[in-house]
Amino acid sequence: MDEMDPKTFGGDPSVDSAAPAAVKKKRLFQKNPNKIKESKFDIFLNILNLTILFLGVILIIFPLLNYFSLAFNNGNSNLKVVFYPVDPTFKAFEYVLAGEGALDFWRAFGNSVLLTVVVTVVSNLVEAMAAYPLSKRDFPFKSGIMMYFIITMLFSAGIVPIYLLMSMFNLLDNIWSVILISISNVTHLLYFKTFFEGISPDIEEAARLDGANELQMFFLIIVPMSLPIIGSCCFFTIVGCWNGYGSALMFISQSARGKAAQPLAYYLYLMLQSDTLDKNNAWLMANAKNVEAAAMVASIIPIICMYPYVVKYIKGGLQLGSVKG
Amino acid sequence: MEDRIYQTSESPAVQAAGETASLPGELPAASAAHRHEEPGFWKGQWKRVKKYRRILFFLLPAATFTLIFSYLPMLGVLFAFKGPEFDLTRGDVLWNLTHGSWTFANFGKIFVDDSFWSAVGNTLIINVIRLFICFPLSIIIAVQLSELKNQTLSKVILIILTIPNFLSWAIVIGIWSGLLNPDTGFLGQFTGYIMAQDAWFKPLAVFFSAWKGAGWGCILFYSAIVSIDKTYYESATLEGANRLQKMWYLTLPSILPTIALMLVLNISGMMATGFEQIWTMMQSNPGVFPDSQIVLDTYIYQVSVVHRTDIPFATALGVFNGAIALALMLIGNAITTKTMKRGLW
Repeated sequence: MDEMDPKTFGGDPSVDSAAPAAVKKKRLFQKNPNKIKESKFDIFLNILNLTILFLGVILIIFPLLNYFSLAFNNGNSNLKVVFYPVDPTFKAFEYVLAGEGALDFWRAFGNSVLLTVVVTVVSNLVEAMAAYPLSKRDFPFKSGIMMYFIITMLFSAGIVPIYLLMSMFNLLDNIWSVILISISNVTHLLYFKTFFEGISPDIEEAARLDGANELQMFFLIIVPMSLPIIGSCCFFTIVGCWNGYGSALMFISQSARGKAAQPLAYYLYLMLQSDTLDKNNAWLMANAKNVEAAAMVASIIPIICMYPYVVKYIKGGLQLGSVKG
Repeated sequence: MEDRIYQTSESPAVQAAGETASLPGELPAASAAHRHEEPGFWKGQWKRVKKYRRILFFLLPAATFTLIFSYLPMLGVLFAFKGPEFDLTRGDVLWNLTHGSWTFANFGKIFVDDSFWSAVGNTLIINVIRLFICFPLSIIIAVQLSELKNQTLSKVILIILTIPNFLSWAIVIGIWSGLLNPDTGFLGQFTGYIMAQDAWFKPLAVFFSAWKGAGWGCILFYSAIVSIDKTYYESATLEGANRLQKMWYLTLPSILPTIALMLVLNISGMMATGFEQIWTMMQSNPGVFPDSQIVLDTYIYQVSVVHRTDIPFATALGVFNGAIALALMLIGNAITTKTMKRGLW
């Protein structure tokens, strides 16, 4: 079994003695000049490919690691930090989580938790409920109702009317303005509708024969069957609520009342503007970047907890497109 | 094989199959109704309303939220037609809506507004560069990942590349403004503080979008490539095609529908730059960037919320922007419906 025999390059050597005709055919194919050239070319391409991807991974990892290290570093030696903290300290975290900055941080954290939980539960529940009748093939005025929802996805009147609406409801500088504006989500309605349409009507028929009413049908049959799509939509809502601050920028000012209503991402955004820091605190001025990094690292912990889901999502079928399905 | 993008090309067939499959599940009354004469549109609708009366209320919560937070603001379009005496200090919003004169002048003001035109220009520049860099980058990464022999490795790399997508823009800009700052960051020692330089604003805006979004954007293309039938590659190999040929003549044409769809979607969103990103980049160096770096999103935000001096003009600007976005979406939808037999939504 001489695998290195150049005549049977890459082929099965046992064929050599058994069937000469097959060998001849095989050799003809193996001696194809393209084939031999290709394998060298392949190695080159593979190396090139891996190198580029490796550089891309470094480009992603390096800034993250550097920032992560800054959070654990003393402000005086920030310039020396590359991949790990050179002068490790927990002072920045202490300041953000338990010291002077703790009130602001935990208040913003609490607001973000409220925002995320309420929007994730209410938005997905409401949209899934609306999608259920619309997934029926012969639902009355179906296309008209769909149009009613889709128009809001295509056209928005802009910032001013929504701002004035919130001021009429007296919701400015209030986290509920951000919550209420985030609830309507037509994209998720469309995802749910498509998924529900795929559920066999026989199952509903069987449940109906067993005496299930419509509410039971939805919550005990349809929802458990749609957990994959509901999971995906909830995940995207959670990430969107946790990371978004566009509507907070609109409705929540930097006044004292607004400060109590900041979600976490907005608080982090304000942290980037270092002129908000207390100029009399020398330690804080020297460690401004480290405090900022510590706050940001602390803020992404909930997202890190969600990451196994991303891993599962990518390892699995990659079903739901990132933009639309 | 189960990629949604690919199923969509067969969606009419799938739908038809679903419909025939659903027939045995229909209520007997409904199938009886089908056999009768066409009962007239309204009568038929009424019958179905009665059939589904128990789940009609399922629509209510979503419809209410949409009505209050999407349709009620659309009435606010009327503010765009209010005269210059509009003043929220004289009375509340409704009082102002019913009092005072009406005019079209606010829309005229848009066209003679220099800031508006420079905002449009900057928006288009940033988005066109993004279209030529970020968009192909996602496709290239997806092809590269699919070319790896070890698919576990390619998924690990993909997972790493998607990490920045789950960070907020505040964090992404915090990371890079730290890194590119000569006082605190490692790279800043070599580059100087390019985050605060006018000339670097647009390149960095594109770079940050790529850094944050390229990995996530490539998932769609990657899943499309993975779902290509492997036997095509085998027969291409037998025909003597090399790797590059297979990439060019097999992989790319196979994911062309996905590419085309994403391209149309990208072009439809041409007037939006990502408000959070640009605004945060500008605000992380307050006062450094003049109006020359303003984009449409941030300009509308400035006029509407930050300054709030000329509400009718700000509304007109928002309405105008919304109308352009709507037109682009409708054109995009018409293109995809005509060429790909699927709508954008």
